[in-house]
Amino acid sequence: MVDLATILAGFADAFTPFNLAFVLFGVIVGQFVGAVPGIGPIMAMAIAIPFTFGLDTLPAIAFLVGVNKGGLVGGAVPAVLMNTPGTPDAAATALDGFPLARKGKPLKATKMALFSSVTGDTVSDIVLITVSAPLAVLALRMGPVEVFALIIFAFSIIAGLIGNSVAKGVIAAALGLLCASVGSDPEHYTPRLIFGHFELYDGLPLASVAIGMLAVSEILRRLSETRGRMRATVEIPKTQDAADTRVSFAEYWACRFTLLRGATIGTILGALPGIGSTAAAFMSYAATKHASREPESFGKGNIQGIAAAESANSAVVGANLIPLLTLGIPGSVGAALIISAFMIHGVQPGPLLFEQQGRLIYGLFGAMIMANVLNLFVGQIGLRLWVRVVSAPESFVFASALLLCIVGVSMATGGLFGVAVMLIFAGIGYLMTSFGYSVVIFIIAFFLGPRFEISLSQSLALTNGKPAALLDHPIALALLVLALVCLIWFGLKARRLARAA
Amino acid sequence: MAGQADRWTGAFFVALAAVLYFHVIPTYVETVDYGWVHPRTIPNAVAIIVAVCGVAQIIGPAPVTVPPARQLARAGLFFALIVAGLTLTAFLGFKIVAPLLALAIMLAIGERRPGWLAAGVIGMPLAIWLFVAFLLGRPLP
Repeated sequence: MVDLATILAGFADAFTPFNLAFVLFGVIVGQFVGAVPGIGPIMAMAIAIPFTFGLDTLPAIAFLVGVNKGGLVGGAVPAVLMNTPGTPDAAATALDGFPLARKGKPLKATKMALFSSVTGDTVSDIVLITVSAPLAVLALRMGPVEVFALIIFAFSIIAGLIGNSVAKGVIAAALGLLCASVGSDPEHYTPRLIFGHFELYDGLPLASVAIGMLAVSEILRRLSETRGRMRATVEIPKTQDAADTRVSFAEYWACRFTLLRGATIGTILGALPGIGSTAAAFMSYAATKHASREPESFGKGNIQGIAAAESANSAVVGANLIPLLTLGIPGSVGAALIISAFMIHGVQPGPLLFEQQGRLIYGLFGAMIMANVLNLFVGQIGLRLWVRVVSAPESFVFASALLLCIVGVSMATGGLFGVAVMLIFAGIGYLMTSFGYSVVIFIIAFFLGPRFEISLSQSLALTNGKPAALLDHPIALALLVLALVCLIWFGLKARRLARAA
Repeated sequence: MAGQADRWTGAFFVALAAVLYFHVIPTYVETVDYGWVHPRTIPNAVAIIVAVCGVAQIIGPAPVTVPPARQLARAGLFFALIVAGLTLTAFLGFKIVAPLLALAIMLAIGERRPGWLAAGVIGMPLAIWLFVAFLLGRPLP
């Protein structure tokens, strides 16, 4: 148990002007690169690590945490303003953020994204600071069978995103799974559907697929709709009601359950290695849509949709550090980069970390809290700048966004092959959207697909293919029952709505 | 008819599933007859699911608003333009092709104002070069 003096000393270290300056710098860098499609906070952290060699441990880690947290806020900005998510995590934010921006309320939409992100992140940090050890023990009990059940549960929640045609929703999910199966198969490591392209041996790159389907396909759609009339990317009325440019406390408070639900989903999924913030955002969005009394308003600019997605994807960042700090297991690529920074600075993450480096860890916690506060202030300034950018004509914004997508994906995937994949998926995404197939369901299935197959294979091996063996895994059983309950509930609700219509 | 497009896409997916199941998967996925989940298990399952859902779409189509053919054709043209840009990038490099691609897209949309053309054709590629190549020290494609 760490004593109070160490905790206070740690927090005092974090709040020195020198360390705060590094957190601030990290947040600014993160928000900037997060807004550039394809680059994102992970790449920014990877590039930044060598620059931290000359720093002490705390400012170095605080800087990286600032980049990570700032990147998530930054990723939401182009998602809301241009329907072009800077990071795959922000794709769910675009579902309601962009329609709200197009209604002439870009500042309101981006501010809600910012407030929700900071709220989710802060809740998750508080959980990390207070109960990280017991949560890590719980996370350790999640073996392959439990993870498989969790993915089934995630799929059942996301089934709530299926619109008026179940067949189309299932086709979109199946195609996502098919694309996820490209590359070496996880059980036998034989190449699968790579068509002679050895670049595909590790599978289709997520950055190419997500940015192609979400960002470039949207650019294609908007370009095809423009007919010689130059207009702003987002039309902002000249005389705007003050209520349309800000989020009132009443509006924020009305989202309190949504924010709490999102933060809870994000924290739980973040504590489990490998699930990720994209899945958390979509799960939270789907759960909020189904809990809402007006689900038909989702996808049309409902502020609750923004709150659900952003609170969940940001909550993952703090929770990712739970297994890292307590067990030495990184929960995501971002956490893996932080672990590498720890080790470069001579700190060994793991169960003894709190005892041996208590002051440093509480310094890190202080820096995380400060990063959230600074995210709020930097975000307020950055948002105004971005809103000015999207009031530029579509011709300029879309040509620029396309160039950024090409460069970003090329950097993320290490060459033009990834850009070619991005273009193919842009075409597929455009056609899917045009004919009423959900690209969101496709992306989620694509994202969860590899994890689904691995855990299915491991679960079958562990249980020897006998369903009765599930009785030895009560958490998995409970999750599967929950998945069934969700599906029945969604089915009944859809039937009731159809009857009412 | 409102559901006609849905019927056609349903038929397309049935055909796609058949091609996947009978040609693509047998040709491009290795046969392994041990273990729990074979390399073909998931792709085959997907093909069957897609076929069943395609048939369901043909039988019970949902009304869908498809963009007009003219708009689809315009999207196809822009897509071809970007593919051409990418192909040229492989030979000439991003620094040369980016301004040309930006110019082509902006002119195709109908932008004629010199200020905005300059911003898109010179300003943005220059900003990207400054940020990526100069500041981050990463190579441009």
